Amino acid sequence: MTGSSAQAAGVVQRGLVLSAIGLLALGGVYVLALGYTPVEVRQGLAQKIFYLHVPAAWSALLSFSLVGIASALYLWLKDPRLDRFAAASAEVGVVFSAIMLTTGPIWAKPIWGTWWTWDARLTLTLFVFFLFIGYLGLRAAVHDPAERARFSAVVGILGMLLVPFIHLSVYLFRTLHPQPIVLKPSAPSLPPEMLTTLLVSTLVFTLLYLGFVTARYGLALADEAREEARDAA
Amino acid sequence: MPDPVRLALAIAAKDIRAELRSRTALQSALVFAALVLVVFNFARDPTVLAATDLAPSVLWVTFALAAMVTLNRAFNVERENAALDGLLLAPVPREALFLGKLLANLAFVGTVELVTLPLFMLFFNVSLGRALPGLLGVTALATIGFVAVGTLFSAMAVRTRFAELMLPVLLLPFMVPPLIAAVQMTSRLLADRPLSEMWGWLRLLALYDVVFVTLCMMVFSAVVDE
Amino acid sequence: MPPEPPQNGEYLVAAYVITTVILTGYWVALWRRGKAIVSGKGKT
Repeated sequence: MTGSSAQAAGVVQRGLVLSAIGLLALGGVYVLALGYTPVEVRQGLAQKIFYLHVPAAWSALLSFSLVGIASALYLWLKDPRLDRFAAASAEVGVVFSAIMLTTGPIWAKPIWGTWWTWDARLTLTLFVFFLFIGYLGLRAAVHDPAERARFSAVVGILGMLLVPFIHLSVYLFRTLHPQPIVLKPSAPSLPPEMLTTLLVSTLVFTLLYLGFVTARYGLALADEAREEARDAA
Repeated sequence: MPDPVRLALAIAAKDIRAELRSRTALQSALVFAALVLVVFNFARDPTVLAATDLAPSVLWVTFALAAMVTLNRAFNVERENAALDGLLLAPVPREALFLGKLLANLAFVGTVELVTLPLFMLFFNVSLGRALPGLLGVTALATIGFVAVGTLFSAMAVRTRFAELMLPVLLLPFMVPPLIAAVQMTSRLLADRPLSEMWGWLRLLALYDVVFVTLCMMVFSAVVDE
Repeated sequence: MPPEPPQNGEYLVAAYVITTVILTGYWVALWRRGKAIVSGKGKT
């Protein structure tokens, strides 16, 4: 194994370890969510999906924003590390979006009586998912690494700027989504056990994001190292 | 060095002349638009769904699909003729190049829309009357929005594998805000609602156009240059 | 008698199971791609 390939393997390993810790911590979150938090009277047990759905949404949006920022920076600085990071963040973002888009309707059905509504948040999550898919599809369809990086960066930037417009479009309709009960300027109106569990879950999901992105970044490094070795041979 | 706007107009004129000679993009799009309208008309039950309820959505779906067909064809023709490469070698500012392509594409898509509109009135028995100026305005604004992004993405898509698939997949999310705004405004225009009810949508459309035309113009160079 | 919460536990189970499957599935996928580098074969 070449030097840079060994370095890449190291990065992957760090990422895997970090995300493994995250997964174990997730088990802890499950315990908190299922045992420690009270059952909400109006919504029943299904309300507890909230502790997974909301942090997944945060992570997906975090991934997405970082892809956008990395894209803009790449077009400016042309640093391939930014492109590698953007690709990693996009792939991880798809994973979190998938969780968001599955847990969302599973939560909505018992609570609102319908699998889907076109309100602001659900619509936005769907669009972010489509944008991710388009982004990854584009990367798969372009062979030359420099061209792939440039094209991805263009889509990344445009995608990031699309989000406020999607939000605005849907806002001009009535929304069905529950009002944000966590991010109000005054004290959040959640009981303390729920708030704690939510925050812990968000931390765990962030940890998972970091671990997964690190591992994925390392895999991209390894790919490049192998390409270089093959070209040199 | 001729001023960029004149350059853009010259580029647009060249493209339009080329298309007028071959008519490939226009023909496909027009046939497509007529087909879509006919299918929609036969697909609905006139006793259940009033034409006026469905009409704005049908119109805009038709416009959106026709625009995609047009954009795809236009850039494919371009690629086959390798015309773009010649332009890129010359010291043409990329913004002017983008603007020229945008204007040409707007002319193509606009033509398709102008022909589709009377067909639409005919098939759906909708009389436009007083709504016409407003409708033309909305159509122009929305079209600028999605053709700007479409011009950028089709320049990208033709350089990829699966170009035909890549353009719709990339472009569709970006067409949604102008489409939603356009449908909302069309529906209100046809129902003769006052301007105050459309103001929010109009501002969204205008803002979208300003942001995305500027942005696409700025990043066009990243797509066409090495 | 306090009001009874609705009986919708099956949705809870479904959501938690799916989330677990997706996250661990992705971890495993990354791990397998990682192993492929170490053994020097296959594409990641």
